[in-house]
Amino acid sequence: MALLAPLAASDYVLHVAVLSFIYLLPALGLNLVYGYAGLLSLATGAFFGIGAYASALLALRLGWPFWLAFPAAGVVCALIAVPMAVPALRLRSYSFVMVTLGFLVISESVAKNWIGLTRGDMGLIDIPRPRLGTTALASVTQLYYLTLITAVLAALAFRAVVRAPAGRALIALRDDETLAEAYGLDTWRFKLAAFVLGALLAGLGGSLYAHYTTVLDPLVFDVFHTLTLMTIVFGGGAGTLGGVLLGTVVFLFVPEALRVTPQWRMVIYGVLLVVFVFRLPGGLGPALARRLAHREAA
Amino acid sequence: MRAINFAHGEYYMLGALVAWTALDRLGWPYPAAVATAVVVLALLGLAVSRLLMERLLVMPFSMAVLATLGVQLALQNGAQLVWGASPKFFGGGWTAPVQVGGVGIVGQQLVIFGAAAVLFAGLAWLVRRTHLGRAMRAVAQNREACEVVGLDVERVARITFTLGVTLAGLAGALVAPILVNVGTTIGLPMVLRCFAIIVLGGVGSVPGALVGGLILGVAESFVAGYLTLQLRDAVGFTVLIAMLIVRPQGLFGVRVRS
Repeated sequence: MALLAPLAASDYVLHVAVLSFIYLLPALGLNLVYGYAGLLSLATGAFFGIGAYASALLALRLGWPFWLAFPAAGVVCALIAVPMAVPALRLRSYSFVMVTLGFLVISESVAKNWIGLTRGDMGLIDIPRPRLGTTALASVTQLYYLTLITAVLAALAFRAVVRAPAGRALIALRDDETLAEAYGLDTWRFKLAAFVLGALLAGLGGSLYAHYTTVLDPLVFDVFHTLTLMTIVFGGGAGTLGGVLLGTVVFLFVPEALRVTPQWRMVIYGVLLVVFVFRLPGGLGPALARRLAHREAA
Repeated sequence: MRAINFAHGEYYMLGALVAWTALDRLGWPYPAAVATAVVVLALLGLAVSRLLMERLLVMPFSMAVLATLGVQLALQNGAQLVWGASPKFFGGGWTAPVQVGGVGIVGQQLVIFGAAAVLFAGLAWLVRRTHLGRAMRAVAQNREACEVVGLDVERVARITFTLGVTLAGLAGALVAPILVNVGTTIGLPMVLRCFAIIVLGGVGSVPGALVGGLILGVAESFVAGYLTLQLRDAVGFTVLIAMLIVRPQGLFGVRVRS
């Protein structure tokens, strides 16, 4: 169905679909960090922005093709994540959340003020679209397939990670850190790995975002994007893959569908979120899975 | 209460805008406008507490955070429907400078200083000396144990939350004359700053919040004055991160085992 969608859907629907495929990468990153390692990190939004800037600057300043800038953006984020995580992972609960929030605010400040590199609030324009051979992938349909492929690959990679012994270790860590430690797990190393991998995923998503929109300014670091990611992961079902896949689609399409009443849009969305929390406290994915299991049993 | 409430800054914003309405639209004097903001926000706080916050007590952490995100979006955008997107000129308060020991200070800042001092003393007394304060601290430590000994946890949560909302509204109404222009977007940056202050001082510590607020305010002003206004927002968090590396539990926080 997803493969044939471009035949039937309008460019606008495809555009929202592309955005949800792009958002899936940082959402999976946050899911790994929060849903599995149990760390509520608001830095995922920062890594999304850093990845976007890294990729855009490599393409614009050094003339790198997208296919090189894309992995490089992930690597840059992973490299930044290590020195950030080493002191931050010593902190617990609130302090950790606030340090990651601080990282987001500071990243935005750097993007705004390092005008020599980022052009500050003027932003970067004409970020090249990915090229295949000699043709640029410029139409929404072409970019739809590109981001669909990256989304599927990211989801498969995510599944491989959480099903591996290391993923099991992360789940043990989230459920009971003391017990996991007593069992002999080096919890710190697993947390670090999850954090770095989450940053890498977010950076790759940022790169796609930059080359899709072709313009970039410090607003990419706006807290709003991070809140969207949290809505996707928490609302979809933290610690599940299916839930986050579902959440990415639902929580990007619902605000778009509400554009029929532009003024009331975000008010309704806010109220829906609250209602949603009371109705499905476990998240969208787990609730759906329960419903399906129930039907099979009946 | 050990929850992260992203909507808190919106009560500050609403306090400022309700005061503006009383002042500008109804033509009331500034003190009456402040009182109106306090009353309206207290009622709103009570309503939100009854409708949402008490039920969130039993929710998983991530879901409670998500609900506060929803409240934040609804309040900010709802306010935009009521007051419009453009900032409002706030023409009240005592903006004339007063000479204090050879230094000119805007009168309103003295009012804010006085109010902060009184509220600080009041809150410190409430949390430390009264039965209610003891109950608040107990609930923060161990909710189940409080229920076992027969404490009405929901009532304590309701009073705490309503008090917090009212104080945020009062702050908005008091700071509005200094801000001059008040709009619907002032809430989110403020709540982020509050998070930094609270973690800086130590979660759950009243003197910690005072000292954290002072440190942040002074650091922000110095950077804005001597470096650049643009970097101001990053200051608080830079101070915070530097301090947490040295002292992970905050300035006044006690190391707790979790």
